[in-house]
Amino acid sequence: MLLWAALGLYGLGIVLTIPPLTRRRPALPRGALAALAGGLVLHGLSLAVVGFRLHHLPMTDVQGAVSFFAFDVTLAFFLLYLRYKIISLGLFTLPFVFLMALIAALQGSPSFQSPGFRGGWLGVHIAAMILGYTGFFLTFVAGVMYLIQEAELKSKKPHAFHFRLPSLEVCDRLYYRSLVFGNLFVGAGLLTGFVWASRTWHGSWEYDPKIVATLVTWVIYLTLFSTRACGSWRGRRSAYGAIFGFGAVMVTFLGVTFLSGQHGFLPKP
Amino acid sequence: MNFILVGISHHTAPVEVRERMNIHESRLPAALTDLVARRGIREGMILSTCNRVDLAAASEDGVEAEPELRRFLTELHRNDLAPYEQYLYWRRGRDVVRHLFRVACSLDSMILGEPQILGQFKQAFAAASEAGALNGALHEVARQALAVGRRVRRETALGTTAVSASYAAVELAKKIFGSLEGKTVFILGAGKMSELAARHLISSGATSILVTNRTYERACELAQAFGGTPVRFEDAFEQLGRADIVISSTGSREVLVTRERVERMLAARKQRPMFFVDIAVPRDVDPAVNELNNAFVYDIDDLEAVVASNRKQREREAAWAEEIVEEEVERTLRRLASRDLAPTIVALEQRLERIRAAEIERFRGRLGNLDPSQNEAVDALTRGILNKILHGPITEMKNGAGDPEHGALVQLVRRIFGVND
Repeated sequence: MLLWAALGLYGLGIVLTIPPLTRRRPALPRGALAALAGGLVLHGLSLAVVGFRLHHLPMTDVQGAVSFFAFDVTLAFFLLYLRYKIISLGLFTLPFVFLMALIAALQGSPSFQSPGFRGGWLGVHIAAMILGYTGFFLTFVAGVMYLIQEAELKSKKPHAFHFRLPSLEVCDRLYYRSLVFGNLFVGAGLLTGFVWASRTWHGSWEYDPKIVATLVTWVIYLTLFSTRACGSWRGRRSAYGAIFGFGAVMVTFLGVTFLSGQHGFLPKP
Repeated sequence: MNFILVGISHHTAPVEVRERMNIHESRLPAALTDLVARRGIREGMILSTCNRVDLAAASEDGVEAEPELRRFLTELHRNDLAPYEQYLYWRRGRDVVRHLFRVACSLDSMILGEPQILGQFKQAFAAASEAGALNGALHEVARQALAVGRRVRRETALGTTAVSASYAAVELAKKIFGSLEGKTVFILGAGKMSELAARHLISSGATSILVTNRTYERACELAQAFGGTPVRFEDAFEQLGRADIVISSTGSREVLVTRERVERMLAARKQRPMFFVDIAVPRDVDPAVNELNNAFVYDIDDLEAVVASNRKQREREAAWAEEIVEEEVERTLRRLASRDLAPTIVALEQRLERIRAAEIERFRGRLGNLDPSQNEAVDALTRGILNKILHGPITEMKNGAGDPEHGALVQLVRRIFGVND
């Protein structure tokens, strides 16, 4: 129930954030900041507790994975706020995070453990993948914010800062860094996944749909990285790319989870 | 505690009149000392800027300070006040508090939301404090005015948006580039407006300035003024790609910066964005450039549109700010009233308590022997009656704070209850 407490604090944080946003002079009030920080701590603790109980990293089932993801995104928002003071990022991420944490909390205690899931490498693999997806989620958010801000600037009708969106440059910087972060961790996740699978699974697991889908997603994001780094794509095109890429992430994580037999989170029939 | 204020502002008087009433800061200490030495005047503060002169004072109870203030102004300016009568405005009581708060929040300024007034108010406050002219209620009001000014800046967007085209250009540049530090500005065609815009950009952090003009000497002049680099006009288009922000105001009849050119420049810059501020008429930059990814073009009409929409936004914010001011006026007046009323209330309570105690003593015989709980009940009963009686007068006195008859009201209550000593 630590998670429920964390959830309560997140909710409080969100509620406290809304008035300043509509007042158009947004600075995260101290109460909201404290509520979020408190929520983060409790959330982290809830993950740690589960981890201790299971004697390995707690993300090996849907509940843990979703919870860890929500935790990462919130932590990222918090750190980014401290560094860049972007409150509008909160508007995009916090409600989503709240939803995810709610889903995780509703699942109750770690329920299902697929029998195929054993071993230390596995935890590392899953953690790395989730961290990677967190990065890609932030890339997606950065892309969306960029597109909104750019559209406003191009229309020449600045809507008097409906949300104080960060400057294009900050959006771009967030985009780039989260892209690098995401690519590194997904790469690490794939690597550790291969190591673990080669030891544990038998048969031609290389063609498991989830692995294939993840590879495809990774290639998409590597493409985004290379086009951005050499400057052939930047700004609007990159943002669209991030949105498309995140669609791929969703498909990989959620869709294939429910389709892949061996790799999925659902018990085999 | 009677407040009175006399003033002249851009609302009521043209600049020729205002400049004659202006009091230079070097003369303030002497003027303030003179002011509070006058009969009936306890405190004073003078705020004198190019757009207003406000003289606020607190007079003794029951004293009408207007004649004395007139004398003061006449002697200060060594001039009869008669020709200025039509330009002066007078405020009393709570209106003084409201006026001072609104001024500090830049709600009474020529440009709504301008940032200088708070600093000017602070200086006026400091000058009056140092001259020993603020030592009571007016001090409290002035101090609170500064706090309200800060609160409005914090809680509303009143002071945050650009009100001139060149400020608007900077605002937009920040929306694109975030911080302007390390960014390069290219001035294409030296002129007054481009100079102004460049100046704003530099004060916001832009570091490299390149200047080009048809006549090289003019470019050198301007470059030197900004600590930048002059560029010969023939070389300008090679160098243009180095700039993040281009301010264009040549007299050219044709478009100088075409879409193809910008496309090439962007490719060479790895698509790092470029912002074109085109204040030339006829325009120097092809509007089609705005269609490119990573290029942004604003001409003079666009900038003016931003300014207009900012002004609308400021007006909306002003409505909020006025609410905040009203709330703060009420709060301040209550606080002052409580402070002032405290001795009166204490005196009233003491007087009635003496009556209560005496009466209980007198009737002790007739009450007979009472056990402790009955004694308590009698105490509670009598106290309750007195509290309820006092409640009315005290509330009336608290609510009447700031009204001109307030002093008289308090005196009356004191007289009625016999606490005047």
